[in-house]
This record gives sequence, C-alpha cells and structure tokens, in this order.
Amino acid sequence: MNDDREAILSRVRGALAPLRERAALPTYDSEVAVMRGLIAGRDLVELFCERARRVGAVALSDPAALVARLRAESRFRGYCDPVLWPRLAPYFAGGDFQVEVTFDRTRVDDYGFGITRAAAAIAESGTIVLNDTTTSTRLAALAPWVHVAVVARDAIFSDISQAVAALGHDRNVVWCTGPSKTADVEGILIEGVHGPGTQIALVVDWESSGL
Amino acid sequence: MRFQPIDQFAKNLPPATRASVYQSTKTTHEKRTKLLFDQFAEPDRLREIAGEIKQHAIENLDTYLPQVEAKLKANGAHVHWASTAESACATVLQIMRARGATKMVKAKTMVSEEIELAHYLEKHGMEALETDLGEFIIQIDHDHPSHIVRPIIHKNRREIAQSFEREGLGSYNDDPATITQRARHFLRHKYLAADVGLTGANFVSAESGRIVLVTNEGNSRFCLAATKCHIALIGIEKIVPRDRDLALLLNLLGRSGTAQDLTVYTEFIGGPKLPAQPDGPEEMHVIFVDNGRTEVLASDCREILRCIRCGACLNVCPVYRQASGHAYRSVYPGPVGAVLSPLLAGEKFPQLADLPKASSLCGACHEVCPVNIPIPDLLLRLRARAKDENVPSPGTPPMGAWALLASQPTAWRAALAGGKLIDYLPTKLIPVPALQAWAAKRELPAWRGGEFRKWLKNRPR
Amino acid sequence: MLNSERKPITGKRVQLMATCLCDAFYDDVAAATVEVLEHLGVEVVFPEGQTCCGQPAFNGGDWAASRKVVRHTVRTFAGEEPVVVPSGSCAAMMFHGAVLEFEKERDVSDVEALGRRTWELADFIVNGLGVKTWSGRYDATVAFHRSCHSRGTQSGEAALTLLAAIAGVKVVEFGEGEQCCGFGGTFSVSFPGISTAMGALKLDHVRAARPDVFVSGDMSCMMHMGGLAAKEGKPIKTLHLAQVLRDALKSKAAP
Repeated sequence: MNDDREAILSRVRGALAPLRERAALPTYDSEVAVMRGLIAGRDLVELFCERARRVGAVALSDPAALVARLRAESRFRGYCDPVLWPRLAPYFAGGDFQVEVTFDRTRVDDYGFGITRAAAAIAESGTIVLNDTTTSTRLAALAPWVHVAVVARDAIFSDISQAVAALGHDRNVVWCTGPSKTADVEGILIEGVHGPGTQIALVVDWESSGL
Repeated sequence: MRFQPIDQFAKNLPPATRASVYQSTKTTHEKRTKLLFDQFAEPDRLREIAGEIKQHAIENLDTYLPQVEAKLKANGAHVHWASTAESACATVLQIMRARGATKMVKAKTMVSEEIELAHYLEKHGMEALETDLGEFIIQIDHDHPSHIVRPIIHKNRREIAQSFEREGLGSYNDDPATITQRARHFLRHKYLAADVGLTGANFVSAESGRIVLVTNEGNSRFCLAATKCHIALIGIEKIVPRDRDLALLLNLLGRSGTAQDLTVYTEFIGGPKLPAQPDGPEEMHVIFVDNGRTEVLASDCREILRCIRCGACLNVCPVYRQASGHAYRSVYPGPVGAVLSPLLAGEKFPQLADLPKASSLCGACHEVCPVNIPIPDLLLRLRARAKDENVPSPGTPPMGAWALLASQPTAWRAALAGGKLIDYLPTKLIPVPALQAWAAKRELPAWRGGEFRKWLKNRPR
Repeated sequence: MLNSERKPITGKRVQLMATCLCDAFYDDVAAATVEVLEHLGVEVVFPEGQTCCGQPAFNGGDWAASRKVVRHTVRTFAGEEPVVVPSGSCAAMMFHGAVLEFEKERDVSDVEALGRRTWELADFIVNGLGVKTWSGRYDATVAFHRSCHSRGTQSGEAALTLLAAIAGVKVVEFGEGEQCCGFGGTFSVSFPGISTAMGALKLDHVRAARPDVFVSGDMSCMMHMGGLAAKEGKPIKTLHLAQVLRDALKSKAAP
C-alpha cells in the first residue's frame, strides 16, 4: 500500500509542522530504572535463584536434582537440545526416561518436558533469556508442561537495563520470567496457560561457550 | 430528567459485576503502587522520563517512521502502511491470500480490535482465532473486551463455564484452573494447524527495528513458534527512539499494568528467521496503521499517543470502577478511552463526546500514568471541543447566565442576597434540574449568601 | 498541577479570594481564613468585586464563558500581593486551569501572572510563610481528605504538617485515601449515580476510621460529603482546615 505510505507520512509531517519546537529526547542514567538496594553486594547466581523463585520459577543448580524433580512429577518423556544431551544424558541413565533430541510437532502433547539452552539470565527479575541462535526449537521451550532452561553461571546479567544493552546482534530474543500465567478469570492466578506450568532454570557451571 | 449515558449504564450494571470490577481494579492498583514505591527511590521521576521519551518519539515520527521502516527492511521484514481500518484489514487479507493461508492465530492486539480484523477475515472466509484466554472467551461469546489488559473483567467463572460447555469444550466446570487447561488443550492444536500468527507490538525501536511484545500467557510466543509467517499490526505511535529506552518502559509497563516486575514473556523480534537460526517464522510483515492517529497527532491532545496500553488509569479510575468498560462504547475504555475513543472516532466525534465528561477530573489517572499523560487536561480540551461543536450534553447546566452574573459584581452581590429564597422552597419545586439532581441524594447546606461580607465589614477591629 | 514558578512572598499583605462557595454557604470558613491569616500577622485585603474563579464553566467545556469570568477575576485581583484562597480547587484553577484555557489568548500572560501569585491557604502558611508550628489546642480525632485538585501540589503535605502541629489533634488514616469524593463540580449533577456511589464509598472509609471531624482544604468536597451523609440520615461533622486552625487558637473544644 504505497499510496498509504505517502499519505501517512505526509499527514505526519503536516501534523508536526506547526510545532514551534519538538520535545527533546531526555538524557537519563539507565540506573534510574534499576531496583534500589537489590543488587549491590549480592552474588548474582544466588540473587537470580531467589528472584526466579519469587516469580514462581524453579531454580536448580544440580542436574541430578532436575532428574529427581522430573521423576517426582512423573514426567518421563521429554525433549532435550542435542547440544546439551551429551552432558545431561548420564543423569537420565538407568531410569524410565525417554528423551528425544528432535522435537516432533505432530506429537506436542507427548512431551512432558523440554530442555533447551538459555543464552543468559537476569538476576534482578529472575528472568531466563532465550535467543534464536541457540534455541534448537521454539516449541520445545513452550509446549511441554515443564520447560528447563540451562543457564551458565557466568551468563547472568545483574539487571534488565544491562540485559537490554546486551541485546546486541541477537535479533530474536525472548525473556521468560516465571511460568506462563493468567489472571483473566476473576483475577485468580493460574499457571500454565499456553506455555509451561513449571519453568525451571538449571544453573550450571559449565562455561557458557561450551553450552 | 436525562443524565449522561455512562451514568445510566452504571446504574444498570449488575451489582455483582460492579463489585468484581471494583475489587480487581482496586487490588491491582494498590499492588502497583506498592511495587513502584517499594522498589524505586523516585517512581514519579521514572514516569516523567518515560513520558518525555514517548513525547519526543511522537513529535519526531516524521524522522522515526522512515528510519524504522528502513531498519525493518534491512532486517528482512516486509513493511506495509495502512491509512484506514479497511486498508489495514485488506493488507492482512492480501498477505494471507498470497501465501495460500486460511488459518490465523492471533495474539491480543488493541489495533486489531480497533479495525475489527477478526470479523473482516471471517467474512472473507479466513479463520482468525483469538489465543489470549480472555480474548478467546470474548470471541466465542461474540462479546467485547471491557478492559485493555483484562478483557473479561466483567465476566464471572460461571458465565465462562457455560460458554465452554456450549462450545463443546467439556461439561460444565467453573474451576478457573480447569477452564484454563481446557483452553490450553484446545488452542495448542489450533496454533499448530495455523498458517499465520498475528500480533501487535508494545514497542518498536527506531534504532534497531526491534519489535517488543509482552504477554503473560505465552500466546504470542506460541503464535510465533508454531507458524511460519508473522504479521505484526502496529499503530504508528508505538515507536521508541532507542533500545535502551525499552528497559525503562518495560520496567514501568509490567508494574503499571498487572503489578508485576516484568511481564512473563517479553519478546524482542528483530526480523524473520536467519539461515543460521534453527527456528522461527520465515516471513515477517509489519503493517503500520494510522486509522486516525495522524489526526490525533495534529490535535491539541497528541499527548495521548504516548499511551502504552497498561490499563493503570482504568484501575485507579473511580468512574471506571463504577461503570465498567462497556459503558464507554468503544475499544478503549476508562480515562485513556475517554480521550482516545472520541479522537479516533473522526467524524463520529459527537457520538462519543460524552466520554470526556465522565470524570470528576480527580487526576488519579495522571498520577498513575507510566508515561505521565495529563489526562484531565485532555478531557477538558475535548469538553471544550464538544461545546464548540455544539454537541448536546445531558445533565450539564448551561453556563451563559452564570458567566454573566459572575462577571458583574453588583449583580453577583444581589444574587447572593436573593439566593436566600432556596431555604424557603422545597427543592423539588425549583425548576433547576441541576439543583434537583443534587438535592435528590444530598442535602444542600443553608444559604449564607453575603454573610461573610457583612461579617468582614461589621466586625470589631 | 504544580505551581512551581510562583512568586516568593514579600511583605505581609495578601488579597483574599474567598471562593463563591464560602460567599454563598460557608461564611465561617472565609472568616476563619481571615482570622488565621491575621493571627500570623498578615494583613488581609478583600477585593469586593470578586465572584467566582471560573471553574464551573471551564470544567463544563464552556471556555468562552469561563474566560469571561477569569478576566473579571484577573481585573479584580490586580496588584502584586499574594492571593490566598481557602480551596485547593480554586487555587489550581488559577495557576493551572485558567492558563490552559488561555493558551491561545493574547492576555494569557495576565492570567499566568495571577496564577504565580495564587496560593492555597495551607500551602501559603507552611511553604509561603514558613510556619510549621501552631499554638493553642484542639482535642479531636481528625480524618483529613486530600482534595484531588491538590494532587501534585504541596497543599496536602502542608495541611498535614499543620494538623500534626496542633496539640490535641490526632490524625487518622482511612482506606483508599487517594480516591476522589465524587463531587467534581457539574459532574455531581450530570453523573448523579456515579458521583454519589463514589461519595458513599468515601464515607464508608471515613466512618470506619471513627474520626470526630472530617477535615479538608476544600469546602466543595465537604459540601458533597456532608450533604450525602445528612441525606443518609447519618450526618458527619465536616470542617475546613481554616476552622480547625482558628478553633485551636481559641482552644475551643471540637464540636
């Protein structure tokens, strides 16, 4: 709709022409939008775990604990990013687990969990950061009831402003802050609407590059 | 006597609906305030900065729109422009037809409500399914949203359970968790079968061309995980100058809208899938929609274009709390709607000119607005416009005689003395509707006209 | 609605803008304002020609009618002295509303000049004169309503500073204190249902706090609250801050 383009832009110019001056872009320190007294002096891993729990996510640091959790919830069938699988497979060995490394979208309901790589995390908000260069499949991080994001300890940003500043050339990024939720029905909080009802961050000390 | 439509509507609202609207807006507002003031040293300063950023952006759209278009194109997206609702709908249809698509899954977008996209597509043989739980319920009920963020704030669980039963989504069950689970199972197969995913945008960065989308349910992410074609319908006012501004705005949006530090899913979309990317939509279309916005930009109410659709002004508004959203008879209810809806109505302005009257001008909306929009000033400007255009205003006393009196001191003093009369007449007999409306519910204080002046003259000094 | 560019106080003479409500109904509030100001050593001049600030027509959208009244007000309050008004609402009309409706008028600067001289009473006492203590005594539990038109100004804080300074006064908080009482000028008669519902909620909250008196810096809110309570058959004692300040000076017991 090229005509519309010209028409809109010309109306915009016409609307702005009579302004004697235009509002200036304010200068401000990104720090103003950072929560006060939360981060200073804190270990970022510890803070991230604390904040993740506050938004209803689960933060674990031991793959064995993850396996125990999945077993306790009877989620034996799932998906794991093929890059992660060699490191995680030993923990799943010898059980009733059935883990696939390709995600079959025709069987979304078969997957009780999906394990994918997180590019980073944000301590201030308890957020995990997924980006499309490292997310093997978007659906695996979304459709199963349990999503496990594997985060490297050294990839935790202190706050939202830092994480935005680091968006860099990752063109497609999604932040997940806790499980999928709604309060549409009478304001009652329900988790697991379209996305995971359980959002787990597995914080590992593998180097982020090795993830 | 006739009163304002919104007052009539509020009167007819079922008390249970009013109670639930009141309770949930009050709770969200109070949590919002506590979060902001606990977490930041100067929350009002944040609102001011955010307001300045957005004001700068809208006052420089002539620069930013071409800039963002170029960025989006460089990122591999197709950019379209739509002057009107009709043109926006037709553009979407054209994109779908070109791909041979017939099924769309939609995330919540206010622009699509504005242009009534789902109806249009259905009329043209396309399926357009709402995926936000609230919007999905609105769609199956052929209803309208009554809140920007909480579309079904006016419905209770029993009504929803009945709708689900009617639609074959299981036998009657009004447990909110069960309702949600049923929607989850129904909708996920719809996502997977869909050809295109449609979203709005909360922000678009002119610096990078990044589109930012937030949802709590993850439905917009599901639309973009399951389909190969992403259509983003974006009002031209959604632009922010730089990526760094997003951090401030996101911090304010979640807290202001739903009293969350951050909404659950925040997507930054820089374009369609790159070859090196394992997943994501292969095709991306951005449609910039005007639909009356340039007219707002040209008006003396352009500040309303800063709005980031958080709903905080609805939650705090005492009138919205009494009347609920349908009273506003438009896509945007509450204080923001009372400004935006009449403005976007174009030639139909007189039909919505009563909305700006629906305010005691208490200013609570301005006080909570994350982008510091002086909503009361804009309401007042629209009232003046309605008066200039001679739109009738039921229940509003005429001001001409009063103005004459109040600019003539001698007449004024005589009236002060004469007003004593009202003490001796039953108010029902006084043919002044305003006085009757007052006296029906409130006692009038005793008339003491001129007494202060007498006291001042005669007191011993 | 900040009145940030206002003129600093020099001299001790002020013009009193008594407000049309006090002129018609609440003479004792205007008298109390005079007595309170005089107690502080301020000479009070009352321009006889004054009528109304122009707000009813401004809020009603009839800006031409309102401007007529504002122009009269500007002429009436000629001079350099501060103008003190026992109403946050009328004060805001002078330094904010009137300026808004005169934006495109040639005499906007006259209106702005009056706005810069206009002070709400509590704001004038505390921030203009620098008075933060109060003599005398007033034994009462007080619920204080911050009227909406003092949002974004220093008036609410100033009033609370003064109340806290009075011996015997105990200020009680009540629920949803930031919410409007529902008056809103013509809103109260063109939206009678919503207006009175808002008022009823406010009254419920105030009554739950069990104050002896319900105090505000604006008689318009109090006219609505008091009128509503009386009509319900459950009257509530309403007072203007100026009356409390004056009665404290006389160490008069609360009613």
